[in-house]
Amino acid sequence: MTEALRIRGLAKAFDKPVISGLDLDIAAGQLYALLGPNGAGKTTTLRMVTGLTRPDAGSIEIFGVDALADPIAAKAITAWLPDEPMLYDKLSPLEYLAFVAGLWRMEPHVASEEAERLLHWLDLWEQRDTRCEGFSRGMKQKVALAGALIHDPKLLILDEPLTGLDAAMARAVKDALREQVDRGKTVIVTTHILEVAERMADRIGIIGGGKLLAEGTLDELRDRAGTEGMTLEDTFIRLTSGA
Amino acid sequence: MTRLAPGSFAWLARHELRLAWRGRRRGGKRQALALVLLGLYLAAGIAVAYLLMGVPIDYRAEIGIGILAASVVALSFMTTQAILGSQQTLYESRDLDLLLTAPIEGRVVLLAKLAGIAGAIALTYAGLLLPVVVPVAILGHPHLLGVVALLVALALTAAAIGIAVTLTLASIAGPRAARTVGQVAAAVLGGALFLFSQLSHGGQGRRSSFAVIFEDLRAWGWGENGWSGVPGHAAFGDPVSLAILLTIGVALFAGTGAVLQRLFLSGYQDAGMRLSRARPTGKASARLFHAGLFRPVLAKEWRLLARDPGLVFQVILRLVYLIPLMLVAFRGSGGLIAPGLAFASVLVATQLTGSFAWLAVSGEDVPELIAVAPVHKQRVDQAKLAAALLMAAPIAALLPIAIATVGRSPLGALISLIATAIGGTIAGYIELKLAKPGQRSAFAKRRGGSAIAGILGMIVAAIFGGGAAAIVYFIG
Repeated sequence: MTEALRIRGLAKAFDKPVISGLDLDIAAGQLYALLGPNGAGKTTTLRMVTGLTRPDAGSIEIFGVDALADPIAAKAITAWLPDEPMLYDKLSPLEYLAFVAGLWRMEPHVASEEAERLLHWLDLWEQRDTRCEGFSRGMKQKVALAGALIHDPKLLILDEPLTGLDAAMARAVKDALREQVDRGKTVIVTTHILEVAERMADRIGIIGGGKLLAEGTLDELRDRAGTEGMTLEDTFIRLTSGA
Repeated sequence: MTRLAPGSFAWLARHELRLAWRGRRRGGKRQALALVLLGLYLAAGIAVAYLLMGVPIDYRAEIGIGILAASVVALSFMTTQAILGSQQTLYESRDLDLLLTAPIEGRVVLLAKLAGIAGAIALTYAGLLLPVVVPVAILGHPHLLGVVALLVALALTAAAIGIAVTLTLASIAGPRAARTVGQVAAAVLGGALFLFSQLSHGGQGRRSSFAVIFEDLRAWGWGENGWSGVPGHAAFGDPVSLAILLTIGVALFAGTGAVLQRLFLSGYQDAGMRLSRARPTGKASARLFHAGLFRPVLAKEWRLLARDPGLVFQVILRLVYLIPLMLVAFRGSGGLIAPGLAFASVLVATQLTGSFAWLAVSGEDVPELIAVAPVHKQRVDQAKLAAALLMAAPIAALLPIAIATVGRSPLGALISLIATAIGGTIAGYIELKLAKPGQRSAFAKRRGGSAIAGILGMIVAAIFGGGAAAIVYFIG
C-alpha cells in the first residue's frame, strides 16, 4: 500500500523535549486521527510535517517525497489547516482563494472553476464578495478549508478542525473530509473530540510523551488496551494514563 | 493595602491602570535598557535640580507662552493617543465582552476605560517630565509640582475628547467609518501642529518658524494673564489656575461618562455586528485568478493596502513629515529647483518603498500560509518587493516629472528617475532583509523592531539623493 506519510526518528525540543524519536506510517486514502493529551506534541508533529517547524532529528516523507530535502515538492501536494484559520480579514473568500491559487501556481481557469465549485459546495457562494472580517468562526473555517482544498492536495492535514463549530458546520466539515477520503485523498486530523475520531477515522494514532503510544483501528486499539466493547474514550484514557 | 469594593469604579479603574502599566513593561534586555536610561535621566534631573537650587524660578510671560505651547502640542498628541486608545477599546479589545456581561453599570465600565486611557497617556508623559520636574521641585522649587497636576488635567481632558470623538463618529458614520476616520483624524492631529509651524511661516528666510510664532504671541500679550496664562500659572503652582484646569479635566471626564454612556454601549454593540462589508467587488470571479506568482501577490498587497485608509494615511503622513527636509534641500540648493527636487524624489521613493515593503513582508498577516505554500520564500519576497515598488512608483515618479517640466531639465529628470529607482529598490531590499515581523496595525511603531533598517534607509536616501542632486546641479 502507498504510504502518504512516513516519519522516522522525529525529534524536537523547545525548552524540553516535545517529540522524541517518533515513528509513524500513514497509508494513503484513509482518514487518520492523531490523538493525544494536551501538550503531547500532536501540533508540533504536524507543523514539522508541513515545514513550519524544523525538526531536530529524523526524516519525513510525504508520498515518497523527502519533505526536509525537497520541501517545495512536498508542500505542493500537502494542505495545512490550523485551528486558527489562516485568513486575511480584508479579502473576500473569492479573493483569498485567488491568492492561494497563485501561491500553488494553479492555472487561472482551473482555479476559478474550482473556487466556484468549493464556494457553492461549502455554502459560501452568497458571501463570496464579502470581506472575511465579519464572518463567524465557522464561516472562516469553511473559507480556510476551501483554501486548503482548492489546489487538490493529496495529503490534507487539519489541526482541531471542529473546534468552535456549531453542529451544522461541524457536519459540513466532516462530510467534506469524508468526501476527500472517498476521492482517494489522505486526511490527517487532530481532535479532542474522541467521538469524531471514533466515528470517522479509519485508523487512530495516540501520541504521548513525545512518542507514538499506540496505533491501529479502533478494534486493534481496544484489543491492545484490553477495553473490548468500550468506547474510544475509555481506550484512550487507558492507553495514555501511563504516558 | 486598601481593599477596593469589587465592581466599583475605583476597583475597575485600578484594573485598567494595571493593564496600562503592564502594557508598558518590556521583557529582558529592553526593560533593563529602559531602566538604565530612566536611571540616567533621573540622575540628570537630580543634577539639574542641584544646579537650580537657590536660583529663583519665577513666572514670566515668555515662560507662560512656552508652557501654553507645550500644553497645546501635548494635548494634541495626547488626544491622538486617546483616539487610538478608544478605538482599541471599542473595536479591538476583547475584555468588553467580559465587562459588559458582568453585573456592572455601563457608565462605570466607561469611566474605568477612560481612566485606563488617561492613565496610559499620563504614564507616557510622566516618564518624560517627572524625572526632572520632581527633583527640581523637591530641591527648592515646590511650586513646580503644579506641572504634575497640569499633566493630570491634560490627560483627563485628552481621554475625554478622544473617546467622545470616537463615539460621536461611530454614532454618525458607523463603527467602520469611525475607525477609519479616527485613525486619519489621529494622524492629522499628530501632524497638524508640526505642519502648521512649517508651512505658515515658510517665507521668512532662515528664522525658525517656532521663533516667529513665539514673537507674534509675545506681541499679542499672550502668556501673561487671562486664559492664555492659565497653563503656565498652573505649572507654577497657582492654586486658582490649578483648580480651573483640574475642574475642567475632571468635569469632562465625569461628564463624558454620564453623557456618552448610551453611545458607548450602542457603539460597542454595533461594532461587532457591522464591521464586515458586503459590498460586491463587481468583478467576474474568473478575472480574480491570475497565472504565476507575481500578479496574485500584487493583487493581494494592493487590496489589503487600499482597504485600510488609516494605514494609507500613515504612509502618506510620513511623506508630509519630510517636507522640512525638502525645504532644507531647496534652501541648500541656492534656489535651484531641480537639485532639490532630485534629492526629494529619492527621499520620497525610499520612504515609500520602505514602508510598502515592510507592510508586504514584515506586516504579512498570514505568514504560515506563505510558509506552507510550495514556493521559495525568496521568490515570494521578490514578488512583494516588486509589488512595493509598483505601488510606490506613481508617487515617486511625480518629482522627476517636475524636474523635467518645472526644472526644465530632461536629463536631470532621467538621472533623478534612475537614482530614485535604485534608491527605492535598495530601501525596499533593506526592509526585506532586516525588518522584524510585526502587525500591519503597528506600522507606525515598526522602527521599534529594527532601528538598523531605518538608519540604513536614511543612509541610502542621503547617498543616492545627494548624488542625484549633485549631478543635476552640475549638469545645470
